[in-house]
Amino acid sequence: MALDRLFNVAKKEFSDHITSRRFVIILGLLLVISAIGMHSGIESYNTMLESYNQQLQYMQGAEFDGPAGWMPEKPSIMLIFSAMMTYMTTLGAVLALAIGFDLVSKEKETRSLKSLLSHPVYRDEIINGKALGGIAALGFAMVLALAISLAMLLVFSIIPTLEEFAAILIFGAVTLGFLLAYFAIALTMSTVSKESGNALIYTLVIFFAVSTILPTFGMMAGDVFAGDRPEPPQMAPMPTPSGRTVTATASSSGYFTSSSSQTVVRVGMEDPEWQQYEEDMKAYTERRMLINDVSNLLSPQMNYVRAAMAVTNPRIATMLSSPYSSIPEETPGLAEALGQVWMNIAALIVFPSAFFAAAYVKFMRMDIR
Amino acid sequence: MIRTEKLTKVYNGKTAVDGLDLTVGEGEVFGFLGPNGAGKSTTILMLTGMIEPTGGRCLVDGIEVAKDPLAVKKIIGYLPEDVGFYGNMTGEQNLDYFARFYGMNARERKERITTLLELVHLDGVTQKAGEYSRGMKQRLGLAQALINDPKVLFLDEPTANLDPEGVREYRELVERLAGEGKTVFVSSHILSEVRAVCRTVGLLAKGRLVAQGTLGEVARALASPDGDAVRIVVETREHLPDIEDPDIIDIERNGNRAIVRAKADIRDRLAAALFTEGAHVREMRVEEPDIEDVFMAVYRR
Repeated sequence: MALDRLFNVAKKEFSDHITSRRFVIILGLLLVISAIGMHSGIESYNTMLESYNQQLQYMQGAEFDGPAGWMPEKPSIMLIFSAMMTYMTTLGAVLALAIGFDLVSKEKETRSLKSLLSHPVYRDEIINGKALGGIAALGFAMVLALAISLAMLLVFSIIPTLEEFAAILIFGAVTLGFLLAYFAIALTMSTVSKESGNALIYTLVIFFAVSTILPTFGMMAGDVFAGDRPEPPQMAPMPTPSGRTVTATASSSGYFTSSSSQTVVRVGMEDPEWQQYEEDMKAYTERRMLINDVSNLLSPQMNYVRAAMAVTNPRIATMLSSPYSSIPEETPGLAEALGQVWMNIAALIVFPSAFFAAAYVKFMRMDIR
Repeated sequence: MIRTEKLTKVYNGKTAVDGLDLTVGEGEVFGFLGPNGAGKSTTILMLTGMIEPTGGRCLVDGIEVAKDPLAVKKIIGYLPEDVGFYGNMTGEQNLDYFARFYGMNARERKERITTLLELVHLDGVTQKAGEYSRGMKQRLGLAQALINDPKVLFLDEPTANLDPEGVREYRELVERLAGEGKTVFVSSHILSEVRAVCRTVGLLAKGRLVAQGTLGEVARALASPDGDAVRIVVETREHLPDIEDPDIIDIERNGNRAIVRAKADIRDRLAAALFTEGAHVREMRVEEPDIEDVFMAVYRR
């Protein structure tokens, strides 16, 4: 494979993408909505910052009766990027699907593929060039979105720290991984289908399957395979908070909801029946979560939400990954938060890779009559 | 320049090309004839390195296509049947994209593209290729097939979408290319088209080569079930006398006119015999088989 031929294809594809009406419209919409989301996020951030400053002033000006060593925590600007995460799961995915679903099928329909293949270029250079051009276009979209976000932060006099800047870059990389997952699906369907119309339908079917049906299926599978839910003992002494469950759901509409609830168990420390129940309940919940998490690894949406949450809101991310641990007093560092979602990050790499490989194999064997 | 040896292609258990042995010399304008579905396009796809043969091999300029398709693609030009382009780009941009695969620098590309667009009368056309008529696409197809100044040119149904003026220009172009010593391989099911530009032809039917040679040779070979029998038309002023010759197969008489079927061209002996009998010969000629009829018969098989 010669790089000059590969780049020739990639350059043409990139140019086609960024000048296409479809790409410009969806990207424009994404940027406008993201900017609006960022604006409201900045307002919330400023409110939280004001509250933080007031708490600091209060603690400095008056005697404080709170727990020893307790200090209010300065809000992170990464909270602002939570809004962008929401829009990326919808419009970003649509953008990725839109640029990929007819990449190969359109060339088959217009017969330009046959003309192209009659010139000295290998098939693998064509499919790799197409993938590279699409990745570059999505990267361009991502860089544009982050640049606008940073510009907005600076306009509102919010200067990110070095760690926050690194977090923004990682957020961009994770988002690009998510977009590539859907781009890879679209490219594969475009290679498999003879017509762009069918390619679009297959792409949408897979999109809804992995973004909506799969997470629901995961929850149902968790209920079925985790066994029977433990029953609490009949007699109940005084309540003691002992467990907390956290659930998270990402819908195809992009809204992310999380809830945290205390499981109040009336248990006496000395009552072995209640201790047993508590252990059974913990094991049951962990089994359910494991099945759900394994199923969700096939959903780019869920992986993205978990990975992006680790960057934008590490505290919630920690609570999501270990429901029975105590709420962290301090926000975990970036590396620690990312370490907790390494499987989701790995899935965001494996998922598009698998689809790109499928597109590659199919394209190499394609009948071009 | 072009050679195939037992070239075979099987698609899903169906044989499209069946043990094809074909030779086309350098500088030849070769017509590849055959009805639709005979395997012409499949043969061209194998010759141009776009698909791999199931069996046998093919060579272009001594290079085995399946082993080094890229080397072959560098020295050939190919106009596919129903050629397609990138609709969002102009003709010039399409040609520039293809030209980049040959390692031509910007100046070389510009010069070559300008020349080719003038050649196919698309110079000054600024509209996108997606807005081209079929005829314009066919002209642009010819230009893209010539972008690398190829040694061998494969044209698949080249006049399919051209108007009469376009067809005339295409014929002139092929003659010019032949004058430059290029080998031109024209695939078509239209006999008149092949007859107009090609010096030699090969006739393909059901994936097999039925005959190869000049049009006359192919037509004679396929003309009648008696193979090489020569039909001599004879007309005399008087009633045709009895003629005897060991090479005569039979004679169809009709007054003072007859068609003599012989094993060889015996016109000299025939004339002498008639002269001896005192008959005045008005006409004596070898009847060439009607090419159209011969090819149609093969097409219908």
